[in-house]
Amino acid sequence: MSEQIAVARTGETQPVVTLIKKVAPYLLAVVASFVAAGLFIAVMGFDVLQAYGTILFTSFKTPNGFAQTLQKFVPLLLQALAFTVPLAAGKFNIGGEGQLIVGAIGATAVGILLAGLPAFVLLPLVLLAGVLFGALWGAIPAWLLYRFRVNEILSTVLMNFISFSLLNYIATEIWRDPAAGHPTTIPIGAGGFLPLMVENPPLNVGIILAVLVAAAVYVYTDKTAPGYELIATGANPRSAMVYGISVGKISLLALIVGGALAGLSGSIEVAGVQHRLIEGLQSNYLLLGIIIGLIAKGNNLVVPFVAFFIAVLEIGASAMQRTMMIPGEMVFIV
Amino acid sequence: MAEAEAQIVALAKLTILTLVPYVLASQGTMLSGRTGVFNVAQEGIMLIGASVGFLGAYLTGNLFYGILLAMLVGGLVGLALAYFTTTLKMDQFVIGLALFFFCLGLASLLYKVTIGVTIKPPLIPTLRDVPVLGLSQVPILGAIFFNQNWLVYFTILLSAVLYYLLYHTRIGLELRAVGENPKAADSLGVNTSLMRYVTAIAGGMLMGLAGAYLPMLYTGTYTHDIVRGRGWLAIALTFFGGWSPHMIFLGALFFAGVEVLSFRVQVSGGGIPYQFLLMLPYIATLLVMMFAFRRARVPAFLGQNYDREKRTLA
Repeated sequence: MSEQIAVARTGETQPVVTLIKKVAPYLLAVVASFVAAGLFIAVMGFDVLQAYGTILFTSFKTPNGFAQTLQKFVPLLLQALAFTVPLAAGKFNIGGEGQLIVGAIGATAVGILLAGLPAFVLLPLVLLAGVLFGALWGAIPAWLLYRFRVNEILSTVLMNFISFSLLNYIATEIWRDPAAGHPTTIPIGAGGFLPLMVENPPLNVGIILAVLVAAAVYVYTDKTAPGYELIATGANPRSAMVYGISVGKISLLALIVGGALAGLSGSIEVAGVQHRLIEGLQSNYLLLGIIIGLIAKGNNLVVPFVAFFIAVLEIGASAMQRTMMIPGEMVFIV
Repeated sequence: MAEAEAQIVALAKLTILTLVPYVLASQGTMLSGRTGVFNVAQEGIMLIGASVGFLGAYLTGNLFYGILLAMLVGGLVGLALAYFTTTLKMDQFVIGLALFFFCLGLASLLYKVTIGVTIKPPLIPTLRDVPVLGLSQVPILGAIFFNQNWLVYFTILLSAVLYYLLYHTRIGLELRAVGENPKAADSLGVNTSLMRYVTAIAGGMLMGLAGAYLPMLYTGTYTHDIVRGRGWLAIALTFFGGWSPHMIFLGALFFAGVEVLSFRVQVSGGGIPYQFLLMLPYIATLLVMMFAFRRARVPAFLGQNYDREKRTLA
């Protein structure tokens, strides 16, 4: 994996031919997985071409479909980055789901407790709370790894399960909305809502935020010295250590940053989409985020494009086709 | 007094019942890990084991066929893991996660395609207790250990057999050597690839079996959240048990005990919100791992692929 990242990286400044060579396997993999999934759809007795037409073009046919796609793109992008940043240091963050939930809890708590504040104070606080809570949730496994060498795959996954119960507790006991049938909190103060860019169909500014964050992550990991240390740690921890990089601390930080990114996706979900905490708001973003990160082979420049593609598939495909298609795609590419 | 005793016996029996999926999945993890193949798809394999195990039992009306089918599918996933990592030399964690997702999607899909959406969930019979002749009448111990379903006996027996195999046979020695120093094992004529394939497949079969056990234990139904992290906990248990069969079995008592406890306190109330009791197994595991990971003796080549033509740091 780390070797592949290194290979992908060296090609960046080279001419168009290498670019094509680099893109070709991706396209091939996508085509292959579409064919494989097509066979499956055909076996189940559906019209393959029609199915693919729906999957690919739903997002672009109507403004509403396009807005939905962009809205889905935001958490997918952030979840993917929450996976790829620690991955650069050779660590697997499988806890994006829990970090999203706890980030959303933080955002909701601030949004409800300080509901009276004006937007220019409350909104930044809501977003920040998500980032901090997510970072905190990511910091626990990071610290367990740093201090006790606890495998991070395991600890981040277990933190997810803890967060599910925490969310349920808060949405049914602390700030329960008695009108809702499903575990849901009361709404946050209107000052905590993300403003809309477009009124109809509704599209909030979360997407600008997410793209800016993605750009910052790319610049940081690929163009700065600390980012280089991060990648060196993942590529070859031994030699990184020999050159005086504190490998343990880098991994610790990378996992905390991953948590912060996932936490931000939680606060955007609350501030931009739901305006309250709802059980299940994490959807399947973790799974898709990891798949995006793996398809992009950890390359933070590629991540947004893959995330957009997956968002299109998500909106277009019914649950059944997508569960078959996307993991299939991943297997082909990896 | 007699009532208290009966309650304790019932709890102990429940703990042994609960232990089974942990032990099976963890022994599977241990077995393939001992040759260096670190399987992280337990959660997925157990879910698909539960799904096809349920479907197999539902369609044939015989639990045994469901179990066989679950082991077959689990073995296939193990085979895929071995192929991608041992033959194609791909990253074990990446492939493991890919297989985990694949199983997750496939498990629910198979259930949906076969059963569809129903108001009342379809039921399969649950496993029956099979008293062991003679031993089941022994006071207390008989009720706890020898009046269980046959998979409990299988699990105990399997742990003993694995212990003997690993530490008292030549094959076991070779198997451990592949996970510790494949180059040395290879130079002495051990077929390292074959070892890795066999253990990865056997490990996958045990995980599939562990999954199939879940719908057959209490409810007789399949739900998409039936595994509830037990697959991940099984990995923790494997570290906790220091990658050895006998310690895994003993360690599973702790995991099963915590699960039974959290369930019992939920039923009896006691003022603690049930959500916090649900967290208990995961928090307990995190705490345990703080000590387990420092102490654990891990196979030296765990998670790495062996390539004959490459220099290795051993």
